[in-house]
Amino acid sequence: MTDHRSSRRRVLRLGGAAGLASIAGCNGVFGGGSGSGSGDDNGGDGGGGGTVAGQIGSGRSPFGERTITGGVSMTEMPELSGELTLYSGRGEPLVGQLIGFIQDLYPDLTIRPRYNSASELVNQIETEGSGSPADVFFSVNAGSLGALKDRGRTAELPTEVLDMVPDQFHDPDGTWIGTSGRARTIPYNTNALSDDEIPDDIFAFPETEAFRDAIGCAPTYSSFQAFITAMRALNGESETREWLNGMLDLGLQTTYADEFLVSQAVADGELRAGFANHYYIQRVLAGRPNAPIATAFTEGDAGAIFNVAGAAVLDTAEDPDLASAFVRHLLSAEAQDYFARETFEYPLVPGVDPIGRLPSIDELNPPEGLDLTQLSDLEGTVDLLRDVGML
Amino acid sequence: MATDQHTVDGGSEDLPLPTTIASGAVAAAVLLPLVWLVKTSLDVGFAEAVAISTRPSTVQVFLNSAALVVTVTVASVLIGVPLAYLTVRTDLPFRRAFTVAVSLPLVIPSYVGAFAFVSAFGPRGAFQRLLAPLGVERLPEIYGFPGAALVVTLYTYPYVFITTRAALKSLDTTLIDAARTLDHSRWAAFRRVTLPQIRPAVAAGALLVALYTLSDFGTPAIMQFDAFTRVIYVEFTSFGRDVASLLSLQLVAVTLLVLGLESHVRGNEPLYAGRQGGRTSGTVPLGPWKYVAAAGCLAVAGLALVVPVGILLTWLAQGGADVGSALAFRAEYALNSVGVSAAAALVATVAGLPVAYLAAGYRSRLAEAFERATYVGYAVPGVVLGLALVYLGTSYARPLYQTVYLLVAAYVVRFLPQAVGSMRASFLRVNPALPEAARTLGRTSFGAFRAVTLPLIAPGLFGGAALVFLTTMKELPATLLLRPSGFKTLVTHIWTATASGYYGHAAVPALILLGVSGLSMLVILTQEGYDVK
Repeated sequence: MTDHRSSRRRVLRLGGAAGLASIAGCNGVFGGGSGSGSGDDNGGDGGGGGTVAGQIGSGRSPFGERTITGGVSMTEMPELSGELTLYSGRGEPLVGQLIGFIQDLYPDLTIRPRYNSASELVNQIETEGSGSPADVFFSVNAGSLGALKDRGRTAELPTEVLDMVPDQFHDPDGTWIGTSGRARTIPYNTNALSDDEIPDDIFAFPETEAFRDAIGCAPTYSSFQAFITAMRALNGESETREWLNGMLDLGLQTTYADEFLVSQAVADGELRAGFANHYYIQRVLAGRPNAPIATAFTEGDAGAIFNVAGAAVLDTAEDPDLASAFVRHLLSAEAQDYFARETFEYPLVPGVDPIGRLPSIDELNPPEGLDLTQLSDLEGTVDLLRDVGML
Repeated sequence: MATDQHTVDGGSEDLPLPTTIASGAVAAAVLLPLVWLVKTSLDVGFAEAVAISTRPSTVQVFLNSAALVVTVTVASVLIGVPLAYLTVRTDLPFRRAFTVAVSLPLVIPSYVGAFAFVSAFGPRGAFQRLLAPLGVERLPEIYGFPGAALVVTLYTYPYVFITTRAALKSLDTTLIDAARTLDHSRWAAFRRVTLPQIRPAVAAGALLVALYTLSDFGTPAIMQFDAFTRVIYVEFTSFGRDVASLLSLQLVAVTLLVLGLESHVRGNEPLYAGRQGGRTSGTVPLGPWKYVAAAGCLAVAGLALVVPVGILLTWLAQGGADVGSALAFRAEYALNSVGVSAAAALVATVAGLPVAYLAAGYRSRLAEAFERATYVGYAVPGVVLGLALVYLGTSYARPLYQTVYLLVAAYVVRFLPQAVGSMRASFLRVNPALPEAARTLGRTSFGAFRAVTLPLIAPGLFGGAALVFLTTMKELPATLLLRPSGFKTLVTHIWTATASGYYGHAAVPALILLGVSGLSMLVILTQEGYDVK
């Protein structure tokens, strides 16, 4: 415990000092020429944060050493002070360290995090009504954020926050913003299949005999349901039903409780392929670098949706300015780098690179014309899954 | 405190006023959360509510739940009663050890049990991998009804075991001896003398089993069996809060049905049984059957304990990925668990006392209604009760919201009937003539209660409190919703680890949970017979 704490402080001090130096460099306090020479080398990618900002943790990742590649450092953001109640639908093992880092950065800030599943927190916020103590909701998916927006419980974020990510990664009305990205992928076992045996078209899957009785999914898992919701939105109800029935006829294994287990089963050879978010594959590889598992993508269809984890400020927030400033911190260079290294997600702030054996965000082919807020319509998906016998 | 035997049917004028008021207040407090359930259900609208309630899938879910409840309850009685009899009345070898061993499954949360059974006996589970060299490709399906029924039975039969045991312990065996001298066979003596005396206790245990089965959330979800709770869960996760409430209200209706049924089965039980304080004579010799009996006990305890503990040890051996401080285990979690559980046990015992006393001592509709009311919260899934208290807390008790006080209140609402059932069964075995005698000797009614009744019902009191303690230790969904921010218990820590797939980090808190609960079980078992030797 104490070890951990002291190392965090040390990193913090380094980060703070480096951050100041970089601000000085950017503003050209020392004038042009000699003083900013080294600053240009570091800050070439636009952000002052660059390589000199403090990193949360050691800067190591299971895929090697890494330095922050871009973005705006927390040290360049307004200071946070006051009390903030954070309802986090993201697990403490994944984001606890980041929240702790922000907490430790400001002496006058108290963050009260409350961890539970995203959907339970949405139900809780709804039930709490105007008496909700929550200031910020941090969610694993756009669906939960959309559900809160639909119920009128989210407040509009300031433009300086919204502008930090490309338009497709925040709500068109500005009531929530993505903080990291999650690509739908097809994990496959490299001993059993090769990349070109995986169709590029999700609708070719039911006819792919190579998958017979050996492709799996987690039907109660929110990410799988978001994928089916996207298919309903893009292709309509009947085509989705047909696809599900086709997959069931092919012997789709539906017994998995979550997509980490699907990915583990693929790596174990229990399945030849599966449906999972991209980072579960990376998480398997982080533990077992030689596991025979790789990532395939479909193109431009529901099988390749790019969902986001994100945050919203609630209509009940006691201090909306503090709440949105906190959300802004989740988009800082440090936080974006943290998501890439620790949760293996896609950073959404341009300039911060993903990590591991992944294509860059620009190389992905998500479907056109899907508003992520639409993914909150889970009821119809649940009815459909129940109807075809998957739930 | 009046101790006469009252037989007023439906009347309440003879009920002692203070006790009745206390009992009524407890019942009202317990029913309060239903207000929220009704309120959100009304949001659905009448026409849609009817449509949802009568759609084929809802009817199917009802039938599924009914089948599960009946199967689990019958199986629990068939396992729990013989085990209780064997450990109390016979010369079963290693009786003490077996008593502990067959009680212990109660300390394992059923969702952990279900998870372990799936990991062990799933189509490609640990057991299959073990058998793979022998050419076993796939094991028979554990998912669905058989798996759900098996797991819920294994982790709930101890309710019947414990309540039956308490009754057998305080049984006056001179009656059995009398029956035996009158040429009754051992079985006939059991049927005609023992059974009627332990029937209320068996019924109390069976009722707890039935209602637990209705409300259990984790097992049907993990076993992929469409019981009410799994459908409610799916609705909640897809933000169908109003539909989930409606289904929960149906669940309450089913609960009332079960309660009515149990009342009917319980029938006109004797208001008191036996000459309490009488002696318990020697044990029944089993002869060579004792090996069979021992093997049976071993099989039940083995299946229920070895599978989950084995899986937990595998997790422990695998260790956990380094995920920083979030999953580092702290002794504080165990202290939190023990603290809130002890508080819940204490409050439930105090609150349940007037309810149990009234229900046992008076044949009154009102007294019975109060007692039955305490069961409703128990049958509602924790997440539903949790949300109901979130509503009540934020609307009417802001200062209490997300404090341990409201959390303990939730546990009491949820687990009160475990205390009430156990205490009521003890009261029933107190011969009213005993406190009566104390009163003629000049004691006040309270004095007589303290000097005579209390020592006699002490085993039931302890048993009830212990049940509340144990189940509170295991409770998850209401804890997640109502705990103060940052307040962690053993189960929330297990949940934190497993929800993110870091099973290695769940092993230590789970094993500590089993250890602490197991220890408290030991304490109860040594306490239980102190007045009846």
